[in-house]
Amino acid sequence: METLKENQAAYYPGCALLTIDRAYNNSSKLVSKKMGIELVEIPDYNCCGIGEMKSKGAVSLYLPLRNMTIAKSKLGSKDLVMACSVCYHEFTRSITKVKENKKLLDEVNLILKDADEEEYAPEGEARHILEFLYNEKGPDEVKKNTVKPLKGIKVAPYYGCLYTRPSMYTFADKKPNLDNSEKPHFMHDFLESMGAEVVSYGNEVQCCGGRNVVQDEETSFTLCSQTLSKAKKAGADFLVVICPKCAGALDVNQPKIVEKYGEDSELPVVYLTQLMALAFGFSEKDAQFSDMISNPLKVLKEKGGFI
Amino acid sequence: MAEEHNKNSVRPVAEKGEHIIARHLIDDDAIKEEKNLVIDGVDVSGRWNTFIETRVDSEYDRSFFDEIQKTVVGSRINRCWQCGMCTASCTVTPLYRRFNPRSFIYMMQLGNLKQLKKYVDVAWRCVGCYKCSQRCPKQVNPAEMMEALALLIKKYFPEEIKSKHQLTIDEEVKKIYEGMILGHGRLDLANLHTSAMRKMGKTSELLSDKDERGAIFKMMKDGRALSVLRLGKPHKWHKSKDAIDKYLQNTGTLEQESQV
Repeated sequence: METLKENQAAYYPGCALLTIDRAYNNSSKLVSKKMGIELVEIPDYNCCGIGEMKSKGAVSLYLPLRNMTIAKSKLGSKDLVMACSVCYHEFTRSITKVKENKKLLDEVNLILKDADEEEYAPEGEARHILEFLYNEKGPDEVKKNTVKPLKGIKVAPYYGCLYTRPSMYTFADKKPNLDNSEKPHFMHDFLESMGAEVVSYGNEVQCCGGRNVVQDEETSFTLCSQTLSKAKKAGADFLVVICPKCAGALDVNQPKIVEKYGEDSELPVVYLTQLMALAFGFSEKDAQFSDMISNPLKVLKEKGGFI
Repeated sequence: MAEEHNKNSVRPVAEKGEHIIARHLIDDDAIKEEKNLVIDGVDVSGRWNTFIETRVDSEYDRSFFDEIQKTVVGSRINRCWQCGMCTASCTVTPLYRRFNPRSFIYMMQLGNLKQLKKYVDVAWRCVGCYKCSQRCPKQVNPAEMMEALALLIKKYFPEEIKSKHQLTIDEEVKKIYEGMILGHGRLDLANLHTSAMRKMGKTSELLSDKDERGAIFKMMKDGRALSVLRLGKPHKWHKSKDAIDKYLQNTGTLEQESQV
């Protein structure tokens, strides 16, 4: 068994981050390393279920928990860090459910045994990268690492749903080190530490409709256009996200949203870690801004001095 | 509306039950309007002629309730005391007024299949934002109760799924997810998207490159659309697949019955 060093953390990439949202994956690793933590991917990960397997009983718990057993047996880590809010939700949900219900724990362990995997002991936590970096390092460290302050850039932080909700799974509002579910502020603090101006626009914890974005894009378009236009009206240059599903709905679909709801909904979307990478002195190529569909590079060029 | 009335200066014929507060909460066929009604010798026609059918249901089915309670997603149905906090905080309700989680949970508690059937066309629209579960004072977890509802619909109204286009699509997309996640252990998002588009008959949208900033075109160019090559598959996933299948075939609950 490989054991992690003190400055390393077990990391669950998830399917989106390894493929379409590689920019989020790479920039998360870059900024973590810069702040002194190396994210080490667990070997042989499997999909968390992305919220689509919940009607399959203990199977929906097996999917995330198999990864927890791998983190423990292969990297010696009880905890697992992840950047995707949907994965985070699936992990916190599973961990909480089997802690509360011995019968479900037994069912999951039965599947694990049949699948020739390690047994799961209910311990350890799933940690969202934002919460992880906030608690392990904090805004002061972000400020210290900022070499290119984001002066003159107005940002609208978008937390979405599953980063804090529901606190029956995440324990937001309940554990003192976690964010507030109605009025989260960790991203605000990070962005201000980098010198950006945070705007308030009222849709910070609203839903993007991402869950049904494939089969019901109209609903998602409506919800997204509300968020994008409110942020734009508040003067934001960027909408800042921490979830690939939100990015899928707000960024990837943005050309279609603009086509339907007009230019009020046209606003570049970036990941928090991309802006952090930029502030920490990495190039726009390292931060992979060009991967975003909503064209954040154009704004960065206009602002001058950033790329 | 008021402006329109002034313009035409003639009051339009009253809509059925239009004086009822929160009219959208009541089904059309539950409203009874009497043209000439005399009660105890008093003529009550006019404004006082509208009645709402009584909804007393004395033949509810407890076995149905147990069926839901045995599922992972519906295990807390007994806790709901119908306060309506879920509907009040719902993301979907303002967009689709007939989507009412509180009411769905009530129908599930009573085993009122007849009533539930009327809402099959909107019941699938939950976006999973978990605002309801966050605010529910009894930790019912209404967001997951909507998953339990989907299980019920699958078992009791399979013909509705087949006959309603959007439900068929929803079902097909869920099957694609399932095939990838359980079959391969990982989700190939680009493939998911293109397969779903094909199922929805939108293949032409996939091929058109009229919008150069369009996501698909861009991802083809930068290679992300072919990401499956990078994604791979977990080592010995077939063992997990077999173990999962075995579990699902033996649960003896709604979750098993809804397997295809």
